[in-house]
Amino acid sequence: MESLHSLGTTTDWVVMIAYFLGIMLFGSYFAKYNRSTNDFFFGGRRFAWWLITVSIVATGVGSHSFVKYSAKGFDYGLSSTMTYMNDWFFMPLFLFGWLPIVVYTKIRSIPEYFERRFSPTVRLIATVFQLLYMIGYLGIGLLTLGKVFTPLLPEAFHILGITIPVTLMGVIITIAFITGVYTTFGGQTAVIFTDLLQGVILIATGVLIFFMGVSYVGGFEAFWHLLPPDWRLPLADFNSPPDFNFVGIFWQDGVAGSIGFLFMNMGLLMRFMSAKSVNEGRKAAAFNVLFMLPVSAIIVGCAGWIGKALTEMNPSPLNPDVNPDQVFVAVTHIIASKGVFGFVLAALTATLLSTVDSLINAIAAVYINDVHRPIKKLIKRRLASEEVEAKRELGAARLASIFFTIIGIIATIPFNSYPTVYEAHGYFHSTLTPPLVTAIFLGVFWKKFTPAGVLATFLGGSSLMILGARYPGIMITPFAHGTAMDPVHPYTYISALYNTVACLSIGVITTYLQPIILRTANKFRENKHHKNIMTSMVVLIIVSLLLVWFNIGNLIFLLVIIFLMTFMVAITAAYFIKFDPAVHLEGLTVWSIKRAKELFKGSKLNEREGERVNLMWRLRKDDEDYVNLSREDMKKMEAEIGDIIYLCDTRKYLGGLKSVHTKVGEPHNETGIVYISKEHKLTALFQEGKMLYAEKEM
Amino acid sequence: MPSFSHSWLPFIYLYAAGGFFFLAGLLIVQKAKGLNTNRKAHRKWRRVLIFGYFYFMLIHAILIIAALYW
Repeated sequence: MESLHSLGTTTDWVVMIAYFLGIMLFGSYFAKYNRSTNDFFFGGRRFAWWLITVSIVATGVGSHSFVKYSAKGFDYGLSSTMTYMNDWFFMPLFLFGWLPIVVYTKIRSIPEYFERRFSPTVRLIATVFQLLYMIGYLGIGLLTLGKVFTPLLPEAFHILGITIPVTLMGVIITIAFITGVYTTFGGQTAVIFTDLLQGVILIATGVLIFFMGVSYVGGFEAFWHLLPPDWRLPLADFNSPPDFNFVGIFWQDGVAGSIGFLFMNMGLLMRFMSAKSVNEGRKAAAFNVLFMLPVSAIIVGCAGWIGKALTEMNPSPLNPDVNPDQVFVAVTHIIASKGVFGFVLAALTATLLSTVDSLINAIAAVYINDVHRPIKKLIKRRLASEEVEAKRELGAARLASIFFTIIGIIATIPFNSYPTVYEAHGYFHSTLTPPLVTAIFLGVFWKKFTPAGVLATFLGGSSLMILGARYPGIMITPFAHGTAMDPVHPYTYISALYNTVACLSIGVITTYLQPIILRTANKFRENKHHKNIMTSMVVLIIVSLLLVWFNIGNLIFLLVIIFLMTFMVAITAAYFIKFDPAVHLEGLTVWSIKRAKELFKGSKLNEREGERVNLMWRLRKDDEDYVNLSREDMKKMEAEIGDIIYLCDTRKYLGGLKSVHTKVGEPHNETGIVYISKEHKLTALFQEGKMLYAEKEM
Repeated sequence: MPSFSHSWLPFIYLYAAGGFFFLAGLLIVQKAKGLNTNRKAHRKWRRVLIFGYFYFMLIHAILIIAALYW
């Protein structure tokens, strides 16, 4: 397999460095919009759908990456688009189930949802799974970045007689350092705006590569007929080969990946949460899946398709033995002129950075919400003033960003053992998403799902997954749909089906056994040695987990151990955790979204549809969080005192950057005037003399 | 000519298994009133959701036909 080096010219490097400096300066400018951790992480819930949509392109494309889809496009053709075209199936559940719950319950992280829906213990375990998932994602992102940059660099640098070899890990560490800068100091608003700019450039770049490539091979018809018929099909062969087959990728990406991406990717959720309303978030998500993802599928895969067409030409300008992960860079180098190559590479790497920066930001959010704050609550440290605490948290968020970037670098090591980034990503999705995805799914859509069920899903489900990885020939083959087993990396994709079924079965069976579990827990409670019995049970659970982790015993023995352990987990959960449906279900499942909305507002809902009104603003002297509208404007808006309204600069191109949510206070009689507080002015950065519009949210 | 297992079988599996998840999701959110069809805006959203399913089905069908016969 041919490995490339030193592809970039001086002009290309100048263009790339200029691009990066421009992006970093652009991102840092928006740091001034961060006045709290809410702004740092969530952008203050203010943006228009189109701005969110374009900014998501950079994150979505970056996370799935040019590198891996070009590699698969080169090896298998248009079926590289599969993973971008199978996300719609879960949109009803996302748009009208999970998204409103996340926004109205003001959940700041997935583990926080688990605490409110189940208990703090469940939150703790969910935090471990969530951090593993996010760090894994970060590792994949950094590995991809390293693989993009390595071909551009020489095999070694020679400085003052010292030879410094260029290694993948060295490249990854350098890039990770650069990435940290505007994420750490910019926050979510910076991420959104840099991604907005990059999203636009990225689409333009992808279209440019496609047209340059098609033109290079002699036009669209020539391109189409150069591709062998199997390369033109949009879906892969049903169950072969093991490294790229339809059925495995459907369950790994279409099911586990799609649910994981929509339901537990905090980077993506934080984008939707930064939309000005739930409906605006829905528009952004729908537009993204319907239009932006198909466009992105072409953008990320076309270099591979063109690469295949190039190898079919006579003479071929591209070596057919090129490393698939380097196809994107190799093809762009052939079809683009000097400078343009640098620009394309800059756009690509900036997009990858964009994914990585979103992830770092999201991991820091999980750290602050699920580790930093609970620990502070636990040690009952005296809180300083709100302002000082906010500053401290912002500092902790920045430190966490740096720490998790380092962990992300370490995570690239195991992923690098896979032949391509695509397979590494597939393995990562198949193994890390099923427990959390199942737990979130059952928690949101099934009222009967209890802490006993969710803990059994986490511990019992993941133990069965470990067993599946150890004995794939026995455990996963029945789910494989005839896919052959690769002995080195067995069932990279279809293991997602086995893992999901394992977690789902454990969760459902435990929930249906809830009456027996409760009766057993109550019997133990009546025993005078109940504390000793439960302590022994916890010890037995830990011993069972260790037996499974270290593979002590044969398959049958370990299966029996897992089922006994799962039952013990359910009983201990029922014994220790007090589950009150009135508290743990209210507003937290799809069956009580209206209640979630009422809790969000703090009073009864006003869902009468009113008009949007244009207003000039005047400043009040106090800092109270309400605005005063005229009686006539309130009548037009169908607003009442206490309703939540959205106040925004009328300039549409700002996409809601200068805006704020607030409540309606006592009315006055000056039509067309709104009185705002100093805090509103500072948060929204409203400008003197610029008109605002107001609309009622609820 | 590509085999059935590479052309139409994945298509049928995708929209049958995916369709099951899609329909189940739609019914759940409607039953739970998350998607409240008494509201005009939500009725419009339901149409968008159903459109999306057939939109992707059509794109895939056109691409398969183009690959096989053009």
